[in-house]
Amino acid sequence: MSAHGLDRTLAALADPHRRRVVDLLRERPYRAGDLAQAARLPFPTMSRHLKTLRQSGLVEEDRDALDSRVRIYRLRSEAMAELRTWLAETDAMWARQLTSFKAHLQKSRK
Amino acid sequence: MRVPADPARAFEAFTQDIALWWQPDPLFRITPHGDGTLRFEPGLHGRLVTRLGNGETFEIGRILVWEPGRRLVFVWRQASFSPDQSTEVEVRFEPVGDETRVSIEHRAWDTIPPEHAARHRFPEPVTLQRAANWWRASLAAFKERLAD
Repeated sequence: MSAHGLDRTLAALADPHRRRVVDLLRERPYRAGDLAQAARLPFPTMSRHLKTLRQSGLVEEDRDALDSRVRIYRLRSEAMAELRTWLAETDAMWARQLTSFKAHLQKSRK
Repeated sequence: MRVPADPARAFEAFTQDIALWWQPDPLFRITPHGDGTLRFEPGLHGRLVTRLGNGETFEIGRILVWEPGRRLVFVWRQASFSPDQSTEVEVRFEPVGDETRVSIEHRAWDTIPPEHAARHRFPEPVTLQRAANWWRASLAAFKERLAD
C-alpha cells in the first residue's frame, strides 16, 4: 500500500464539503455545476474542492460527450479500496495485539 | 476482547506492560528499525515512545486522554508517515462481571496542519467522532456496492 496515496486520500476527506461530494458521487456521476448546486457552494469553491479530490485520486474527470466544455466527475474505486484495505489491516493488527494482551494477563494472573 | 482482569488492572497492564505484550507486526512497522520496546509515559500529555535497538527513542505520539480504568486515547504516527499525517487510537475498558471488555478503535480521519497543532492536544471529540463514523459508514456502504 502506498503510504503517500493514503495520506492524500485522508487529507482530501478531512473536509466536510469534500466528504459531501464523495457522498453525492457515490450515487452517480455529476457535472461540476450540479455538484456546486447540490452542495450549496459557489462554483469556484467547488472547483477548488474538486481539484483536491482529483489530485488525491478519489475522483476523476471526464468531458461531457455532448458538450466538451462541461466536465463530469465520478468516484474512483481504487482510492476507496485502498482506505478499506488500510482499515482492515489496522483492525487485524489490533486484534492480534489484543489477543497477545489477553494472553499476557492470563499469564500474570497465575 | 474480554480479558481476565478488572478495568483498573487491565488499564494498568495495558499501559505499563506494553513492552511485554506488544507483538511486532510486519505490515505495521513503527520504524524501519523495527518496533523496539514500547513504553507509555503515564498521564495526560505523556507520550507513547519506543526505544529502538540502536539506542534511539522514537515518539509514536502524545497521550490525549488518560482515564485509568476507562479510556485511553493517543496519537499514532509511524516513522513512514509524512509530517502532517496523523492517526489516533482509542482504547476503552468496560467492566463485564469481574472481567473487562477492551476495545480499540484506530481512527485516521485527517491530516493536521501545523497551525492546528493545538487541536491535537485538545481534540474536539465530536468532530473527530463524526469524521470517524462517516468513514466507517462510507466504507461499509462502498463495500456493499462493490459486492452488488
